Amino acid sequence: MATQRMQVTDQDLLYFVNTIKSTSRYDFSEYSDKSLKRRLQKILEDYNLDLTSLLTNLRLDKDFLEKVVKEITVNTTELFRDPPVWHLLRSRILPRFKSNKTINIWHAGCSSGQEVYSMMILLNEMELLDRAKIFATDLNTDVLEIAKQGVYKYRFNLGYLDNFDKVIKHNPLNFEEYNDVPYEKYFDIDKVRDTITMKKFLTERPIFRKHDLVVDGNIFFAKFDLILCRNVIIYFNYSLQNKVFELFHSNLYPKGILLLGMHETILGPWATRFERLGQAYIKK
Amino acid sequence: MYKAVIIGGSAGSFQVITRILHSLPPTFPLPILLCLHRLKHVRSGFVEALSIKSAIPIIEPNDKEQIKAGKAYLAPANYHMYVELGNKIALSTEDPVNHSRPSIDLSFITAAQVYREKLVGIILSGANRDGAYGLKKIKDLGGLAIVQNPDECQVRTMTEASLKMTPVDFVYNTNEIIKFLQNIKA
Repeated sequence: MATQRMQVTDQDLLYFVNTIKSTSRYDFSEYSDKSLKRRLQKILEDYNLDLTSLLTNLRLDKDFLEKVVKEITVNTTELFRDPPVWHLLRSRILPRFKSNKTINIWHAGCSSGQEVYSMMILLNEMELLDRAKIFATDLNTDVLEIAKQGVYKYRFNLGYLDNFDKVIKHNPLNFEEYNDVPYEKYFDIDKVRDTITMKKFLTERPIFRKHDLVVDGNIFFAKFDLILCRNVIIYFNYSLQNKVFELFHSNLYPKGILLLGMHETILGPWATRFERLGQAYIKK
Repeated sequence: MYKAVIIGGSAGSFQVITRILHSLPPTFPLPILLCLHRLKHVRSGFVEALSIKSAIPIIEPNDKEQIKAGKAYLAPANYHMYVELGNKIALSTEDPVNHSRPSIDLSFITAAQVYREKLVGIILSGANRDGAYGLKKIKDLGGLAIVQNPDECQVRTMTEASLKMTPVDFVYNTNEIIKFLQNIKA
């Protein structure tokens, strides 16, 4: 039950954000209030602390602060989350890169890596993987470790297989076409150990790095053909969203593409700098 | 008098919602927020199915979309839907609450905090307890709480849980809910 015993106030949130800001390089002051409040609430409940004790611990204990920061970020993801977006990638977006020598792709906010593996699987089916350079970042180093391993729970994630079938086995442009691509081509399923394990040719390919969209710029000394940033900016306020759009825009090649989440849009000044194609924004 | 209506429902609520939306005039003076449980992987077709008989447009909103009168905002599958100050929608992919995403409790609580006494909350048929706490929150902050008559519900768990937690203002059959909404004033 969502009983909220101690209601976190705006003032509490401000103290919390300021404490983190003054004792670390993290800055949550431009995060969206509603979600941040809920995360703070959860942290207070999980550690059974009142706000004063939490703030004291944050100031005194760097490891504790790192732990709390990790718990603030939301890490929901799945293999081929939102199949219609992957259909768009397959039919309208990735074919644009067919004559490229290299395809630079940045997964900003990659969480535990399911999106990165989905992308590599799709690229491989389209015979584009060899040309792709995959960069993937997240604020949370724990989820990055999981991403590098590429091992996921099996039973909890049966939806992954449905999504795989929808995106990989069916052709969105031709519903009569069916390619029986075996799962073992990309991952091994172990029902006893309850795991899905990505193949080595996939896990060894991406470059995973810690990165904070709030304070870090482009850390890769490369520009990108495609940037995926899905269900990340919903946690940012309008002003921070615009900063992030600027970062993405300036690090995309001309005609490069920014892909946002299913229910995210560019509002405000950066909207005119991109041409929209569904969830994809093409740099003008 | 009111600024918004929020409706939560789960198993057995689809037909009730369809009837309600069918009966409202295109000039309905308030925004309607809909938080309905549905299967995670069934996302296409739901808006269309609801829209067929609805006089007011039904939208699966984007994050930070402005909330406007005369429209119904349906929480997108697999996202929580919040109301933010400034009368905006906020979406989140945080963990499910009460095994649900969207969670009715979360939508109701955040709407209550923004609209306070100017909010009408309605709980319909459903098979779990999500929404009961949210409806209490609406009542606590001065809003109006309505529960569908459990005797009329296909599944009565959700309405009974709500009634147990909060002394609601009205227990209504679908027809009475419709009549109430047809007479509501902004």
